[in-house]
Amino acid sequence: MNWSSIINTSLIYATFRSATPIIYAALCAAITQQADILNIGTEGIMLTGAFFAVAVSYMTHSWILGVIVAMVAGLVISMIMAVGHIKFKADICAIGMGINLFAIAITKFLLNSVLGKRGTFSEPGIIPIPRVHIKAFDSIGILNDVFNNWAVTEWFVIILVLVVWFLFYKTRWGLHLRAVGQFPMAAQTAGINVSAMKYEAIAISGLIGGLAGAHLSLGYSALFTENMTNSRGFMGVAAMFFGNADPVWTSVGCLVFGLADSVGNRLQAHGLPSQLVLLMPYVVTVVVLAVSMASKVFTGQRRKSSLTAISA
Amino acid sequence: MNKKLNSVVVSVERILLTMLLALVIGAICILCIKQNPLEAYAALFRGAFHGKLQVGNTLASFTPLLLTSCAFIIGAKAGAFNVGVEGEVFLGGITAAYIGINWTFLPGPLLLIACFAGAILVGALWAYIPGALKAYFNVSEVCVTILMNSVAVYITSYLVNGPMSAGVANAQSKPVNVTLPQFMPPSSVNTGLFIAVVVVLLVIFMLYKMRFGFKIRVVGTNPQFAEYAGINPRTIFIQSMMMSGAIGGLAGCIEILGVHGYFLDNFAYNLGTNGMLAALIVKSNIIFAPFVSFFLAILHSGAMGMQQATGVPKSIVDTITAIFIIIATMETLFQPKTGYAWKWLSKKHTTVEEAVK
Repeated sequence: MNWSSIINTSLIYATFRSATPIIYAALCAAITQQADILNIGTEGIMLTGAFFAVAVSYMTHSWILGVIVAMVAGLVISMIMAVGHIKFKADICAIGMGINLFAIAITKFLLNSVLGKRGTFSEPGIIPIPRVHIKAFDSIGILNDVFNNWAVTEWFVIILVLVVWFLFYKTRWGLHLRAVGQFPMAAQTAGINVSAMKYEAIAISGLIGGLAGAHLSLGYSALFTENMTNSRGFMGVAAMFFGNADPVWTSVGCLVFGLADSVGNRLQAHGLPSQLVLLMPYVVTVVVLAVSMASKVFTGQRRKSSLTAISA
Repeated sequence: MNKKLNSVVVSVERILLTMLLALVIGAICILCIKQNPLEAYAALFRGAFHGKLQVGNTLASFTPLLLTSCAFIIGAKAGAFNVGVEGEVFLGGITAAYIGINWTFLPGPLLLIACFAGAILVGALWAYIPGALKAYFNVSEVCVTILMNSVAVYITSYLVNGPMSAGVANAQSKPVNVTLPQFMPPSSVNTGLFIAVVVVLLVIFMLYKMRFGFKIRVVGTNPQFAEYAGINPRTIFIQSMMMSGAIGGLAGCIEILGVHGYFLDNFAYNLGTNGMLAALIVKSNIIFAPFVSFFLAILHSGAMGMQQATGVPKSIVDTITAIFIIIATMETLFQPKTGYAWKWLSKKHTTVEEAVK
């Protein structure tokens, strides 16, 4: 096997490219997690966003409108979840799964009835998110391989990770959000409106989730297929657990999954059966998640035992 | 004194109101694409019940839902959210197919038992992984089971395209050497239905009349208390996950031996998910779950007929079920302290009493 055709400089971009949709999804999950809401509905929010981005881009020939409508669609879907969970006391896992199934069904229904297609919608009329081509990098091999022709949303995700990090740890809003997540009663006593904070967190999460979908359907590709998110939302949730809802560490987790995905794709060219390649990111995700949670449990135990040693 | 009866009335009302609301929202969706909702629902009903074939197919799609909803409920009773039933159905199916094709040295009845045993074992072992991860490392079982579903689907797809392929155009295995008899030909309903009913009855008995079932329910309600009372919550949690997986595997085995007769790629698409839906709608009440499973079976087996008779795509059915579940999970939406009907009855009663006074 020729290793240099698998591991080379273009692998860096390939990894980042397959990780980007997951990073968006993970940020979507991280915001609600800071308010102690496990956003199982990430997948559904993302899928709805993906559909509306493609449909609007196709109808209006404008990718910006597509992205905006996708974010609004994500907001609407996430608000259904927010009202159900906060006002009507729905179990978050149950309503999250409901949202996911609803998203799969409604996008399929709209695909059949509005766009008149089955399975996949791929037309030349879909305007994708433009790619940034930096002419100065053309002559420099490595920079050209790594940094050229990124989609706008791929550059934007880096900014978004930093913005979300700043929001969580450097602003008053972020402090309130984390207070609500860690000890809602104390937050309430301190005069924070807990359910308003939760609504705000889910709303922002919905906007980011919609953007995640728009990037998947217009930036990562330029088409929509039934259930095209393919558990990327759940990988995002897994990465969020891995990074303890810290945006930076969460993104590192996403890069690991992205690496598994892109190495797998290259191995497929060397005759590995496609199904085994396709299942690799899922296995890697489960293993990484298990190991990171296990190590958390063990460090927790060690801390606990050292404390008891001191007190004894 | 009538507390128990009242709670039953409340639950039944809740389910019916939710069902009605979901159907109304579905009707609005149908109106939006300029079709007649009443006509569509009538066509759906005809598609599910008009003729022996349709009734048989409705019963055939009821069988796996009965089992998968039951599988989800066992997990839920111990506090698990086992989305992995889907994957367990797939793996149970491929195991049954493998044994049914290759272990021809066994005589008929033994081969049948081996198929079931293999499917149950593989389903249980597959569910052990998320169960143990949750119990010992607190890894979200929702996340792990969903990701493992994809892994299971790809594994079976690989096997049926590669090593176990029958070498025909479709991705399918060779026919199995032992099948469950179908009793309403030409429909695919088979004796698996009776097995499923017996299993559900056994599970009800286990949950409410046996010590193990009691332990499961205690762990699900309050794991700290369980530990205090000398029950190991981790072991019970894992065991209930494995039991859930075993029933998922059983459902896959019945589908392969009873309906198809060979392993078909992606044969159990959404079987586990729909069972989970039925369970979530009734809040894991195992007595009501079969009724909702039956309702979902009607929706799904009538969907094709509706699509052919009217211009409504059958994906509307999935939309309706998804809306159904979203509304059903909202605890306090239709939750009066006493049922509407009960309130009405008792109101009349007091007025009569007052009149007598």
